[in-house]
Parts: sequence; structure tokens; C-alpha cells
Amino acid sequence: MDKPTKKALVPAILWGITSVALYASLYYFEKPILEASAKGGWYFIVPVTIAFIFSGVHGNFTGYFWEALGVRAKKK
Amino acid sequence: MEISFLDLTLANVLFLFVVGFIGGLVSGFIGSGGAFVLTPSMMSMGVPAIMAVASNMCHKFPKALVGSIKRARYGQVDVKLGIIMGISAEAGVLYGAHLQKYIRHEFGQDGSNLYVSFVFVVVLAIVGGYVLLDAWKLYSSGAQEEKKTKIAQWVQSVNIPGTMMHFKALNARISVLFTIPLGFATGMLAATIAVGGFIGVPAMMYILGAPGLVASATELVIAFIMGFGGTIKYALDGYVDVRLAMIILAGSLFGVQLGAIGTTYVKDYMVKIVMGVIMILVLFSRGFMIPVYLSNLGYIDPITDGTASILSNISFALLVIALSTGAFIILYSLLHGFRVEAERQKAEGDTTEEPIEPAVQLSPTGRFERIMLVTDGSEFSGGAEREAIELAKKANGQLFITSIVAVDPDYELLAPQLLEKQNAQAQTILDKVKQAAEMAGVKCETVLRQGSEIYEEIVSTAAEKRIDLIIMGRRGKSGLMRLMMGSTTARVIGYTDCNVLVTPRAANLTGQNVMVAVDGSRHGDIAAETATNLAQYLNANVTVVSAIEGDYSDRHRKEAKSIVDRVVDLMKQKGVKASGEVLMGSPATTIVDAAKDKAIDLIIMGSHGSSGFEKVLMGSVSDRVIGHAPCAVFVARG
Repeated sequence: MDKPTKKALVPAILWGITSVALYASLYYFEKPILEASAKGGWYFIVPVTIAFIFSGVHGNFTGYFWEALGVRAKKK
Repeated sequence: MEISFLDLTLANVLFLFVVGFIGGLVSGFIGSGGAFVLTPSMMSMGVPAIMAVASNMCHKFPKALVGSIKRARYGQVDVKLGIIMGISAEAGVLYGAHLQKYIRHEFGQDGSNLYVSFVFVVVLAIVGGYVLLDAWKLYSSGAQEEKKTKIAQWVQSVNIPGTMMHFKALNARISVLFTIPLGFATGMLAATIAVGGFIGVPAMMYILGAPGLVASATELVIAFIMGFGGTIKYALDGYVDVRLAMIILAGSLFGVQLGAIGTTYVKDYMVKIVMGVIMILVLFSRGFMIPVYLSNLGYIDPITDGTASILSNISFALLVIALSTGAFIILYSLLHGFRVEAERQKAEGDTTEEPIEPAVQLSPTGRFERIMLVTDGSEFSGGAEREAIELAKKANGQLFITSIVAVDPDYELLAPQLLEKQNAQAQTILDKVKQAAEMAGVKCETVLRQGSEIYEEIVSTAAEKRIDLIIMGRRGKSGLMRLMMGSTTARVIGYTDCNVLVTPRAANLTGQNVMVAVDGSRHGDIAAETATNLAQYLNANVTVVSAIEGDYSDRHRKEAKSIVDRVVDLMKQKGVKASGEVLMGSPATTIVDAAKDKAIDLIIMGSHGSSGFEKVLMGSVSDRVIGHAPCAVFVARG
């Protein structure tokens, strides 16, 4: 495990804030989102798009999160 | 069916987050897993079965996407293989779901459950048992490399025209007629027991011949395609609860990143150990449920509801234990890997930070206190090894026994075991020479480096270690071939700023007869000064020569003679036995011929310091002398 790095800290915080904002929106707009996705048909776009957006944002956050803590892949 | 969504409590959210994290950790490491705990967990909260499956799918594809991107950065993913298998797996999922529907229709829910449990037990017992046995064999034998199975060797040797595809990670051409059924079976298993990877990963390892880390990383691509297809299928009917999926994703992305990082710290067989252990524990879990289904179908005497409930709880607890055990092994391996890596870095840091003792002498030209021997253990290095030890002993210097392992960055990623093997071989050679040096009473240390350009590593190591003299063996190449291709030796001489001693295999540096070539330039003076210092060490006779070519007029001869005489006089003043001679003809040829005639055992020359393309292409006098001399050649640098 390497030493924690400041280089990854700023992106980790920024992606973290974005991720929290996304989850807050999901909580806030819970009802319309569930209603839309329950309709089926072309509304399949709703959960699929949400999944892609969350994977991008939260994926970046979790990546930088471990890096900022010094948990990085072994250098070859 | 009326779609109703569950009201989520904080406890539910936290539980899904934690299970998501553990499932993600396992997926990031072995390519799949987690679903067999997540789906029943959601059902136990009151989520309808179909919605639990759909929501699990919706968290699986973004997780697999993030995991596969991460592991592709480590060079572990074969995207082409993943896509080819993923597409056929999607077909397998559709067929598997259809088969499930048919069985449920014909034999009812208990019949369906029995079918699922039967598949679980057969697949997990056979495949899981084999994976675990193989992992144990690899672990206990201490083998560094995974061997391809006979089936994989056969599959890679079969050539069916029109169906062949090259897969980079396998470094082989394989017929898609093999990959399609394997992908299909992966998909069918995913539709039946929710974890296709239990077939996909072992199939890639044992049937296609992929290393464990490549197979588990490529499984993530297959999982992405299957998960994406599955999500669309269920979302078209409105069954996806995106809240559940995103809560699980929140935890699983932390886990998948950590699991992927973990793969860079472990040996290939760890994937097999984790997968084998999970599969066997899941097998026991399902085994506990079989009596319940058999009783419900009337094949055995009925068992009470209480017993059925106990068996069901034990079964679920075992699933949780299976996943937790896998996660525990991964975390333990990760922490162990961190610790080993930290110790390695610390040891490397200690070596480089070792204080360098100041030189006793001030003369920059005759200092031989830090001598670097470059060896590859071949017969060509034999002379260099012998002379380096001898010289270090006479000069009371420190010997740095160095070996460079040539690496290709692409190759290194695909076959790290090969690099480890080469390193081990090089270290064995270094240790052998070190032992010989220590027996001769020479203070020494070994230096093992890797690099794509050997000469660059030699030059940089010499600079870092503040080397006075590099000693290298001479390869057999000579003449036009050597001039056109350039050699590592020529490049080292061109780029380094310290002295270089090149010794042919049969060199015997007795230090009796030394020849120094001068031309009146400052480079010649440096050679002369080095010869003086060296002759004092070795108590040698020195022959000072200067060659003239083309213009053999009296004036030119006198000029050459005065250059030689000046050096001879200076040497004599310092108590060195010296004599002089003017050679006529091509400098390289006449120096080599004179060395043969006078039984010279060391030629000392200056280097004009040309480097790079010009030197490699044209060859310098020193280069040509090195190529043809019967004895060792010392290229002096100021």
C-alpha cells in the first residue's frame, strides 16, 4: 500500500460530490422514476441510462477514492 | 402482474450496500459472483423474485463495465474473446430462461427448484472440485507458471478454415466453433443459477488455455454483455427497480475497484483458490435444499415445515459464508501483497540510498575503486568475470556485478511469469560470480536490472553507482556485421562517461605487457595517463605507439615520434618501464598486429567520444581494435 496521495484527493472529492448529488436526485425523484420504469416498453431507457450515468460518475469516484487512500495497483 | 415497489428502510439500504460491496470485491477478483446472495437477500426483504433478478441484472452490467475497464488497464482483458463469448452467452441466457419457463410449466415451482439445485450440484461439484484441486496442486508445487491443459493444447492446435480467430491474450488462433458453445453454456448457467462465471472462467482457463487472471478479467466483459441484455429484457416489462440496483451498485463499485487492484498483487492461482472455495461452499448450501424439494415433489417421505425452514436457513447462511470467505481470502491476499511490496520497495530504497564511500585517490583517470562487471553468464562473459575479480583484487576496489534482463513491455504484461523466470536465472548467475569474488577476498554487491535497451541500463547503472570502470565481455561478432549492426559494447562506449574494459573470452590480463595508443590529442593524453596509473598498479611494461596513415613523409614521422617520446619520458619520470614506436598504416590494423607481435595483454586507447548513429554506422578506431584484438582493450575516458 502506497502513501495516501493529494493528487487523487481533489478528483475524488469532486466525483464524490457529483455522486452524492446523483443519489440525492434519485431519492428526491424516486416516485416519477419508478413510475416511468414500471411502464416498460421504450421506458426501458430510463433504468439503463441511469445505470450508465451512475457507473461513470460513481465508478470514477470509487477509483479515485482508493487511489487517494494509497490503495493502488502493483507497479510492474 | 401489478408492479409494486418496496418501501426501503435504512436497514435495507445499508444491508444492500454491504452485500453489494462484498459481491463487487469478489466480482472484481474472479469475474463474477455476488448474485447468488443478492437475489435471495432482496427476496427476503419482500421484493418479488422476478424484480430481484431484474434489479440484480441492472447493477451487474455497470459493475462489470467499471471492473473490466479497470482490469483492461492492467493488460488482463481480452476484449475480442469477451465480446465473442458474451454474444453467444446472451443466446444462452435466452435459451436458459426459456428452458426454466418450460420446466416450471411442466413440473411446477418445486420441479424448477429441483432442476436449479441439480444443475448447481453437478456443475459446482465437478467444475468447482477440479478448480480447487488444480489451485491446490499449483500452490503446493510452488509452480510459477500455469500449465496449459491437454484439452487446451488440442483446442489451440485445431484448424477449421473460415472459423479461426486470433486471441491476443491466448497468443493463439482458436476456432469460434469452440468459443460459441462455451459462451452459450456460460449464458445458460447464468440464467439458471445467476453466476455464469462458474462455467465461463474455468472454460477459458482449461479449455481455451487462458491464464487465470486473463480468464477472470475477460469474464467481466461477458458479464457486462449478459447483464446489459438481461436488463433490457426485464426493463421492457418494467421489472427493474432502479433504486435497488443503484444502492447495490454504490457498494459494489467500491468492491470491484478493490478486487481489480487485488489481482495485481497475487499469483494467477489465487483466482482459482477463491473461485474453487466459493463454488464448493455454494454446493453445500444447495445440497441442504435438495431434501426439501424432493419432499415437496413426493419423491421422499414428507419433512415437517420446521425442518424445511431450518434447512432453508442453513442453506442461505452457507451462501453468505461462501461469499464472505471469498472476500476474506481476497482482502487477506491484498494486505499480504501490500506488505510484501512495501518491504520490497524499502529494500530497493535502502540499496540506492547506501552511502558511497569517497575515493581515496584524486586522479580521475586511474581510479579503479568502483568496478562494474557486466555479465550474462554466457561463455563470452567468462574472460570479463575473471579479469574483473583479478583487477578489483589488485586495485583493492569494490566490484558491482551487474546483469541486465532484456524485456519487451508488451510481452511482460502477457507473460509476467517468464520475466520472473529470467530474473531468477540472472540472479543465480550473479550469485555464482559473487561467490567467486568473495572467495577471492573482493568486496562486492550484485545489481539486477530490467530494460528494453541493455546499453541504456548499463550506462545509467554506471552513472548511479559512480562507477570508475565498466568491464564487459566481447561477443563473437566482428567485421562488417559488427559495424553495421552496432553492438551493446560499442553503444556503451559511445554513451558512458567512464572507462570501459572489453575482454575477449580467452583474455589473460597478466599485466605484463601493456600497449597505449596516442595521437597527440587530449584523448590520447587521457589514455597515456590511465596507462601510467594502471602500469603502476600492475607493475607492467608499457609500449607507447602512434600510428600514421597516408602521409609517410619525414616531417609526419618526426611529429609522431615526438608525440610518442613525450609520453615515454613522462612515464619514465613516474618510474614506469616504457618504450615507444611509430606504426605505419591503418591505425586499427597496425595496433592489432603490433599487439599480436609483442604478446600484449592489454591495449589502452582514448575515446573520441563520438556517439549515436555516426559511431554505430562508421565504427571508430577503438571499435575496430576491440573487434579484432587478441587481448583486452581499455577505452579510457577523462
